[in-house]
Amino acid sequence: MSAATDDRTESIRMIRDSAGAVAPRGGDTKRVRALRFASPGFDRGMLAQMGELGWIGLAVPEEAGGAGLGMSEAVALAEELGAGLVPEPLVPMMLSARLLAAVGHPALEGVLSGKRVVLTAWQERADTLAVPGTPDGARLFLPMAAGADAFLLPIHQGAGLGLHLQEAKGADLTLEKAMDGGNIGTLRPDLGRASLVAEDVGDMLAIALDEAALVTSGLMLGLMERAFAMTVDYLKTRQQFGRIIGTFQSLQHRAADLKIHIALTRAAVEAGAAALDDGATGAARHAAVSKAKHRAAESGMLVLRQCIQLHGGIGYTDEYDVGLFLRRGMVIMNQFGSAALHRRRFMALAPEDVE
Amino acid sequence: MFAIEPRETDDLNLMEDEAFRAHVRQWIEANYPPELRNPPKRLHWEENKPWYFKLAEKGWLCPGWPRRFGGLGLSPAKQIIFTEEVERHGCARTNDHGIVMVGPLLINHGTEEQQQEFLPKILSGEHIWCQGYSEPNAGSDLAALRTEAVLDGDTYVVNGQKIWTTLAMDANWCFLLVRTDKAAKKQEGISFLLVDMTTPGITVKPIINLEYHDEFCEVFFDNVRVPAKNLVGTPNRGWDMAKALLSFERIYLGSPRLSAYAFTRLRQLAERMGVWEEAAFQETYARLRLDLEDLKSLYGAFVDKLRRGETLGPDVSMLKVFQTELFQRITDTMLEIAGENAGLLEPMEGNRNLNPTGLYIQARPATIYGGSNEIQRNILSKNVLGLPG
Repeated sequence: MSAATDDRTESIRMIRDSAGAVAPRGGDTKRVRALRFASPGFDRGMLAQMGELGWIGLAVPEEAGGAGLGMSEAVALAEELGAGLVPEPLVPMMLSARLLAAVGHPALEGVLSGKRVVLTAWQERADTLAVPGTPDGARLFLPMAAGADAFLLPIHQGAGLGLHLQEAKGADLTLEKAMDGGNIGTLRPDLGRASLVAEDVGDMLAIALDEAALVTSGLMLGLMERAFAMTVDYLKTRQQFGRIIGTFQSLQHRAADLKIHIALTRAAVEAGAAALDDGATGAARHAAVSKAKHRAAESGMLVLRQCIQLHGGIGYTDEYDVGLFLRRGMVIMNQFGSAALHRRRFMALAPEDVE
Repeated sequence: MFAIEPRETDDLNLMEDEAFRAHVRQWIEANYPPELRNPPKRLHWEENKPWYFKLAEKGWLCPGWPRRFGGLGLSPAKQIIFTEEVERHGCARTNDHGIVMVGPLLINHGTEEQQQEFLPKILSGEHIWCQGYSEPNAGSDLAALRTEAVLDGDTYVVNGQKIWTTLAMDANWCFLLVRTDKAAKKQEGISFLLVDMTTPGITVKPIINLEYHDEFCEVFFDNVRVPAKNLVGTPNRGWDMAKALLSFERIYLGSPRLSAYAFTRLRQLAERMGVWEEAAFQETYARLRLDLEDLKSLYGAFVDKLRRGETLGPDVSMLKVFQTELFQRITDTMLEIAGENAGLLEPMEGNRNLNPTGLYIQARPATIYGGSNEIQRNILSKNVLGLPG
């Protein structure tokens, strides 16, 4: 193995270890449950701690004040945080940090530290990765918007996609409850209250959206792994008909199939991260990301709903933790593109090696 | 020491990977018989021996064997490239049991005498081997095998029956699992014997399969006398050796090559049948494509482990399950769009590339051989997930 690969393996191991500070390995959900449906739905102090750990600027170059790491580290971190059901809006913060770092704006510092919650309001309809950039179109599906301090608004002007900053104070923002106890905001932008950050962030935003889709796939992988581990434990202890239910072959085989889906997801996500870290650009980058997000959304939801089924009635209660994973899965499955969107994008982009 | 000296004397391990790949590819393209690319059925010895001898002459027959035994001594990483190029070109599988099973078995467990007697004859093509494992009542439960070998002086006397013995009619030697201790626990009374197929008392009967092909045979043993020196390793300790040899098979059966090949033919068929542009077909096609791409990623993750010199655990069963079931889903789709051509015995319009029924039938046993997918799921649930009983 090369020294470079060794370094990478080591940095991934370190980032996984550091995640333990925020997402307890033992699977304690007390903190996560306490934050549900309480405004803003996450812990600002915890977000600042994540900033201190360098996570928000994980993929931001070192010279811009970030950690200068890659997607392999980012998806490993996301997997740990997904497994821990961490509600803090790390992925949207990472996205905003990438944009601000690319244009060298002073608002970056507050974002990197996790002390100022700045959400990029790019989305104008459901299930899209396109950025229309209209000046006044409603901006949809802003995760954890109840805690936002400011919004970044991509707006088409002239030849470029400009970026504007609007403070949350006084903004026309409506909130809806999310299935996992968080919240989702709709913003009606007001350019009169916004200031120009940069003339053109189109290229950087395309990269940042791909990265966000990939990191979200990492979150899903973490949800799958933890929910499935709980389920396997349950199969090993629950008794019916005088037997441990894990001895029933139909359940064993279903568990084996779910394990295969998890392995496929891991392979797709890690291969996608490796492709981006190897410098994939343009269509190759889109294809690698779409392949990962497609698998994560598709196999992720299969695993999560089967985990409920394999638990039986207890899995349908709010008190039992396995349902938390399904709820979170529902929130992230279509963020940064559904399985269908990524399937279409992959097929449109990826060349076939037909003989 | 050996009759055929490998012509290739430079250490190929010293080449850069991409240069090595180009070297292998170029030689295969120049030397592989074009009419044998992607054969629809497993070839018999008479058909594939020209390729076997080409490889032997080049010294490339046994890429994984150490050089002192006449192999190429390729590193795991180079062996993977070699295999990828063989698969990419669509080279037929040779009668390779001697190469991939007997060779490694004798190199690891054989006596020096056994190595000197048998290995050169594999390299020269003089000995063609078959694998005597399964029996009528020992399929998935292989350790229940009952073909017995009883010691009589310095000779074992073998009685019993094997089945699903691939290409036994082409073979002149057989490596055979036999029961040598009926009193012991079933895994602990099994031994490995090397048997000359021309010995009196052996009868080979081909089995016609759903491809109308005689790939498999039944082999009957009636008081067959085998010299005791042909026992490999320790008596009654054959099971562990047999299991170790099967680990090769599990990664081989998980290779995406069959699914990838069928997938290219699916597109050709869809275009020919006029359904290529249909949205419903495109949806199915896209799902299969992404399954194939993710299989390649998963296979790559296992291959990377081999490349690093790690041994594969029982989780490699995941590959076999997913690959073979994807292969079947692709060929299921072929029949679905083929219209009444789904009932044809031969390729459509005499075009080998439009062979939905051939591929469909070929995909059937994939989930049965090499440990059925039900057995693979048992392995996953017990040995990977740790589920009880």
